[in-house]
Amino acid sequence: MTMKPGPKYSAAVLWTLMILGFALVPVLMSSSYQLNLASHVLVWGLFAVAFNMLWGVTGMLSFGQALYYGLGAYFVGLMVEYLGSAWYLPAIGIGMLAVAATSFLLGLLVIRVGGVYFTMLTLAFGQLAWQITFKWYDFTGGDDGIQGITAPGFLQNPIAYYYFLLVLVMLSMWILKRMAYSPFGLMLRCVRQNPERVRFLGRRVRRNQLRVYIVSSLFAGLAGSLMAGIDNSIHTDMFFWTTSGEVILMSVLGGLNQFFGPFVGAVAIIIIEDIVGAWTEYWSLIIGSLIMGMVILFPKGLVGELHHLKLRMMQLKARRSE
Amino acid sequence: MRNKRLLMCLVIAILAFIVVPFCVNAEDKTIKIGAMYPMTGRAGLYGKDSVAAAEMAIDEINGKGGVAGYKIDATFTDSKVKPAYAVRVAKRYITEDEVDFLFGVVSSGVGLAVTEISQQYKTIFIGTDHASTRLTVDNFQPYYFRVSNNTFQSMTAGALYLKELAETKPWKKIAFIGPDYAYGHSQWDEIRYNLDRFGVEYEVVGEYWPKIYAPDYTSYITSILKDKPDVLISGFWGGDTVAFIKQAQAYGLFEKALYFHPDAGGNYELMSAMGAELPDGLVLGARHYNNWPDTELNRNFVQEFKKRTGRFPTYAAEGAYAGIYAIAHAVEVVGNPDDTEALVKALEGLKIKLPEDPEGFTSYIRPETHQITQVMAIGTTMPNEDFPPAKKMLGNWKIYKAEDLDPPAEYIEMKRKK
Amino acid sequence: MDFSFFITQAISGMTMATLLFLVASGLTLIFGVGNVFNFAHGSFYMVGAYFGYQLVAIWELNFWIALVLAGLGAGLVGMLAESLFLRRIYGRVNEGGFQILLTYCLILIIDDLVKLIWGTEYKSLPRPKGFSGAVTFGDIYLPSYNLLIIAIGVVVVVASWWILTRTRPGKIARAAAVDREMVDTLGVNVPLTMTLVFGIATALGGMAGALAAPLRTVTPGAGIEVIIDSLIVVVLGGMGNFWGAWLGAILVGEVNAFAVAFVPKWASLFSFLVMVIVLIFKPEGLFSPRQVRKV
Repeated sequence: MTMKPGPKYSAAVLWTLMILGFALVPVLMSSSYQLNLASHVLVWGLFAVAFNMLWGVTGMLSFGQALYYGLGAYFVGLMVEYLGSAWYLPAIGIGMLAVAATSFLLGLLVIRVGGVYFTMLTLAFGQLAWQITFKWYDFTGGDDGIQGITAPGFLQNPIAYYYFLLVLVMLSMWILKRMAYSPFGLMLRCVRQNPERVRFLGRRVRRNQLRVYIVSSLFAGLAGSLMAGIDNSIHTDMFFWTTSGEVILMSVLGGLNQFFGPFVGAVAIIIIEDIVGAWTEYWSLIIGSLIMGMVILFPKGLVGELHHLKLRMMQLKARRSE
Repeated sequence: MRNKRLLMCLVIAILAFIVVPFCVNAEDKTIKIGAMYPMTGRAGLYGKDSVAAAEMAIDEINGKGGVAGYKIDATFTDSKVKPAYAVRVAKRYITEDEVDFLFGVVSSGVGLAVTEISQQYKTIFIGTDHASTRLTVDNFQPYYFRVSNNTFQSMTAGALYLKELAETKPWKKIAFIGPDYAYGHSQWDEIRYNLDRFGVEYEVVGEYWPKIYAPDYTSYITSILKDKPDVLISGFWGGDTVAFIKQAQAYGLFEKALYFHPDAGGNYELMSAMGAELPDGLVLGARHYNNWPDTELNRNFVQEFKKRTGRFPTYAAEGAYAGIYAIAHAVEVVGNPDDTEALVKALEGLKIKLPEDPEGFTSYIRPETHQITQVMAIGTTMPNEDFPPAKKMLGNWKIYKAEDLDPPAEYIEMKRKK
Repeated sequence: MDFSFFITQAISGMTMATLLFLVASGLTLIFGVGNVFNFAHGSFYMVGAYFGYQLVAIWELNFWIALVLAGLGAGLVGMLAESLFLRRIYGRVNEGGFQILLTYCLILIIDDLVKLIWGTEYKSLPRPKGFSGAVTFGDIYLPSYNLLIIAIGVVVVVASWWILTRTRPGKIARAAAVDREMVDTLGVNVPLTMTLVFGIATALGGMAGALAAPLRTVTPGAGIEVIIDSLIVVVLGGMGNFWGAWLGAILVGEVNAFAVAFVPKWASLFSFLVMVIVLIFKPEGLFSPRQVRKV
C-alpha cells in the first residue's frame, strides 16, 4: 500500500487544479443544476473522504456513518425550522459539537468490538437513529422531512452558498489530509496493519481508534449540515443504511488506499447516477453492470489504478532511457 | 488485461455519446413537461402506470394537433423515491431542459421536496399521485396544483360511510392499522377529526403502526383479534395491503371485523394480485376505479390503457392522465405555456371532465388550496371477472358529493397558522 | 392476559421468526462458512418467490414441487453469480469491501432483471391445498400454513446442523472457512466447494422466498426489505451458527410479537434495540463461544 505524499509540487498542483476546477463551476456554467450537481459532489466527496479515514486508513468498516451525516443535517434543519434562519451557521457548529459528543459516547461502545461485529454494531445504531427520526413525527417531521431550510443573509444566493461550501469542504479535506500523513495518521495505519505491535510499542490502540472515529464522524456531520442548505430540504433518508452504504461504494470504487480515492469515487457515482438515470428507467441494470465491470477490472480502485498506470509509465520511460 | 480496460473505457465513451443527443433541446413550439415517477421497487407499478397513462394522454392530444399550436413533449425520470435525487432532477428539468411544468411524484416526501423547488424557481408543479394533505394545506405554495384526491377527502368520505353504517349495522369499537409514516398517521388523524366533526360516537380499542414495507403482520393481526374491534380501519397502500389481507385472512379476521380501507384499499392492483383469493365484503376506496363510474369516458380510458400496456390501470394512471389534460386546458386558455402567472390563474379556475367523474359532475380545482375536488365512491368487494386477472371487483357503491369532502375553512386556517 | 392470547401471540411470533430464520440460514452459511458477505442474499429470496409464482401460478405446477424447483433455481443463479463474479475478487486486499460493492451491484442487476421479466405488478400465490384452513384448540386459532412453516424451520435447522457437523462435505466446508489454503493442499477443490456452498446458501434463500410467497406480496424490491432483519438475526446468533440463527430469529420474532401486543406504538423500534443490546453485552452473538473479541 502506497500512501506516501508525492513530491511537494505535484501535490500543490493537484490541489490548485481541483480547487480551481470547482471554483470555476459557477462562472463557466450558468445552469443551477450543474451548480447543484457540483455541490452534491463536494458534500459526498467530503463525507466519503472522512469515512475513508476510518476504513481505508484505520481499517474500521463502519456501516453507520449515516448517523452522523443525518445528525449534522437535522441539527441545522430543526434549528432553522424552530428558531429561524439566523441560526443556520450556529447550528452547524452546535451540530458538530453534538456529533462529537454522540460519537464519543457511541464510540466507547462500538470500538470495543472488532471486524464484522464493529460493522454490525454501527449499522444497528445507525438504523436505531433512523427509526427514531422516522417515528418522532411531531418533532422531526418524520418521513415528510423538513423543507424551507434557508441560510441567512448573502448565503441565500446559491452561488455565494456554493463558494461557502467549497471553502469549507476544501479546508476540511486539507485538515484530513494533514492528519492522514501526520504521526497520528501513521499510527492509525499501524493500528490497521498490526494492532498487537502497536500495543507492544506502548501505544494505545483503542484511544487512537476512538479519536479517528470521532474525527471521521465530525466531518460526516459537517457534510450533512452543509447538505441541508443545498437542497433547502432534508429527509430521513440521510439516516438510512443506504446512505452509509453509498459512501462505502464510493470509497471502494475510487480506491481505499488513496486519499483522494473516495472523492473520485463520489464524483464517479454521482455523475454516473445522473447521466444514466436521465437516460433510461433501467438505470439499475446499467449502473450495476458498469460498477461491477469496474470492480472486476480495477482491483485498486479508480485512483489506485491511475496511480499504478503512472508508475508503470515511469518505469517504462526509465527502462527506455537506460 | 490491458485490452479489457481499453474496452471498458470505450464502452463508457460510447455511452456518453449516446446520452448527449438526449440532452439537446427539442424544437420550439412545444409544451415541455418534466415528470418524475418511481419506476423501480415497490412503488414501481404506480410509476409505470402513470407514465403509460401520461403518454396516452399526450398521444391523444398531439394526435388532434396539440393545443394552441403547441405539441406536448414530456420527459420521464425515475425519482428513485429519494428526495435529494428528485431535487437534482427537478433542478435539471428547470434549468437545463427549461421545462414549463414539473409533473408527477408518488411519494409525499418527494413531493414536499419538489414543491420547494417549484416555489423557488416559480415553475408550476402538477402533483398527480401523492396524497399528503400538507402539500395543499400546511405547505401550500402558489405554483403547486394537485389533480388527485388527498387523504383528507378520502377520510371524509370514509367518515360519512361509517356514519351511515351505524344506522343500519351498529358499530362502536374501531381499531386502526397503517404504515408508520406520515401517510399512515395523517389518515388516522383525519378520520378521527371527521368522525368527531360529524358527531359519530366511537371507541378506539387499538392502534397499530407496522413499518412501511414490513413483510410480516401476523403479530399485529393476532393482537387486533384480541381487541375485538367492530371496524378495522386500514391505511396501507400497494403490496402492504396485499400482504396484510393474505395474512389476516388466514386468521379469519374478516369474519370478525369489518375491514374498512377508504384511501388506497380499492386500488386495482389488490384485485389483480389476489384474484379469487380476495375475500368478499371488504369495504374499500380508491382515487379511481376501472368499473365506476360507468361512463363512456371511463370505459374508453380503461380499455385504451389496456390496449397500450396489456394490463388494466391502477389509480395512479388516471391521476397522470388528468394531469396532462389539466396542463392542456390551461395552455389552451392562456394561449402559450410560457406565461406562468397566467397559467396559475387558468389552473385555479380549471374545470375538467375526467374519467372518474360520474354523469353530471365535472371535477374542478379549488382556488384556495389548488386541490382538485371530486366525487368519491366507496365500494364492497364482490365477484366480477370483467377485468382479468382480477376475479373480484368493487360494487355496491356508496357515493359522496365533492363539496362535502373538502377540508373546511377552519381546518385549513388551523393548519396554515402553525 | 389470558392464556390463549399468549399462545396465539407466541405462535404468530414464531411464524415471523421462522421465515426470518429461513432467509438468515443461507446468509449465516455463506457468512460463516464461505466468509462472504452476501448483501444480495435478499435478492435471491426475491428470485425464489418469483420462481415460485412462475411455477405455481403460470405453469400450474404442484406447490411442493415448485418449492423445491424454486430453491434449486435460485441456487443455480447463485452459483452462476459466484463463479462469474465473486470468484474474481477472492483474496484481494480489502476483500470485504469489494464483496459489499459487488453484491450490491448484484442487487441492482437482479432487481432490474426481475422487473424486465415479470413487470412491476404485485404478484401473489394462494396457500397450497390442504393448508388453507386453521387448527383450533378452544379459543386458540392457528392457521395450518403458519404451523407448517414453523415445522419446516425446525427441519432445516436440524438438517443443516447435522450436515455441517456430522458429514464429510460439511466438515470440508467448515475447514475451508478456517483455512482455504490448508484444505487446498489436502486435495480438496476449494473453488468448487465455495461455489457449492454459495449455491446451497442461495437455494435456502430462494426456498424461503417461495415458502413466504403465499403469505406475502411478491414484488420488486422485496429482497432489500428482508436483508437487514436477516443480518440482525445472523449477528445475534453468531455467524455460521445455525442453531444460533434460529434462536436469534425466535428472539427477534417474539420480542416483536409481544411489543406489538403491549407497546404497539413503539413496536418497530424493538428489533434494532435487541440487536444493540446484545451486541453491546455479547458482541460475538448470543450463541457463540467467546473468542472473537479482538481489535
